[in-house]
Amino acid sequence: MLDLFRNIFAPPRDLILLAAAAWIGMSLAEKRAKRYHTDKSLLSNLIFYLVLAYLLGGRIYYALEHLSAFAQSPLSLISLNTAAFDSFGALAAALIVGFVYGQRKGMSVWPTLDALTPFFTLLAIGIGFSHLASGAAFGSETTVPWGINLWGAIRQPTQIYEIIASLLTFAVIWLRKADSKPGSDFLLFAALTSASRLIIEGFRGDSTLILGGVRSAQVIAWLILAVSLVALELLKPRVVPVAVVEKVEPVIETKRNEVKRKTQSTSAQKTTNVKKTAPSKTKSATAKRKSPKE
Amino acid sequence: MQPIYRRILYGFILLAGLVWIFVSVDKTGASTAGRVPAPQKGFLAPDFTLKTPTGKTYTLSELKGKAVLVNIWATWCPPCRAEMPGIQKFYQQYQSQGLVVLGVNATAQDNPLDIVPFVTQYGLTFPILLDETNDLGSKYNLRSLPSSFFINRDGTIADVVIGGPMSDALLQTDIETILKSPAN
Repeated sequence: MLDLFRNIFAPPRDLILLAAAAWIGMSLAEKRAKRYHTDKSLLSNLIFYLVLAYLLGGRIYYALEHLSAFAQSPLSLISLNTAAFDSFGALAAALIVGFVYGQRKGMSVWPTLDALTPFFTLLAIGIGFSHLASGAAFGSETTVPWGINLWGAIRQPTQIYEIIASLLTFAVIWLRKADSKPGSDFLLFAALTSASRLIIEGFRGDSTLILGGVRSAQVIAWLILAVSLVALELLKPRVVPVAVVEKVEPVIETKRNEVKRKTQSTSAQKTTNVKKTAPSKTKSATAKRKSPKE
Repeated sequence: MQPIYRRILYGFILLAGLVWIFVSVDKTGASTAGRVPAPQKGFLAPDFTLKTPTGKTYTLSELKGKAVLVNIWATWCPPCRAEMPGIQKFYQQYQSQGLVVLGVNATAQDNPLDIVPFVTQYGLTFPILLDETNDLGSKYNLRSLPSSFFINRDGTIADVVIGGPMSDALLQTDIETILKSPAN
């Protein structure tokens, strides 16, 4: 089963999994945009620009790193080689473009990040599946019964752990009730993702080591987790701006008065109706009371 | 949950994280991919012995100390054809600096009669090896053609490029990387 999956989605076809995850993530983010008071079309535009900046940024940064090679063959800039790509440059470009676009369109940071969270969670699931297909992010050698045969050894199925952790994160975020604190969904995603990375990294077989064998990714994940938890504590409930309150308050007051007036008039009508009908009712009642005597 | 309990929980999570970092410290160096042979970046390139159409034998482990590009191809594969001129160009350019290119034909899935005309057509001067029994294909987990493995002078894989054609810039970058790699 696993071999079949790995054969079907062997690189570069593993990118299909990433693209599918990004597409589903975008659809879900659009569906939830209203919940975060974010404009749906602005959000989809933002995701489009983020993806575009990621792809272009990754290639341009790689080209800048190997300027002499690209200067000799400039057409290589538009080649379809996924290997000629730098993830750090891609991420930096996406962050810059996302920030600039958001600022220009007046999008608030926390609600926008919350609205983007379904996209990020789905992307994390897609990355897990892509790792499973390509054999990247592999585990260390193990004797556990659920180990998988990969790269000439029985290894911890870290890619499967990654998928399970991402699916759980998605379930928590998606099934969560709406929170009044903007940013809480995104920070919860950041905390859960960094916590799972912190745990799973311990089983990885390709970690970069620092200081006597400490895995650098775990240190980074722990720091992100700490920042996310502190930020979650510091978040404040959504506050309606004073200007909006001032505008809305008189409208609410008028509506309240209207409702009051209506209720008063209807209750007054009811009383008059009762007064009108009351004598007849009394009459019939007396008639009824009288009838047995007759 | 009460804020005080939540804060205690957060503190406990962070403490547990720190403990896990120190418990999972890699003391044996197993996490650095080790020295086991596998067709993956960071691993030792799996060894193989293959023959050229003229009968000359090449063994990968005998090329230790040299920067090696193993390119797996077939005559019917359009991206393989597209990247051949680039590979030949850089082979000529960097051969004197210690670059060895092994063009491995996936003979098990190719017509052997087409190989020599193909080599003549593209003027390939680097060794062409025949993988008749798919021995290399299985060792290198071959799933797509072309597949290229850039091998450092110490025998570890520096980069794997699955699919193609490789752009000239990527080829040059990866070749320069393996040429700069230390022998041990």
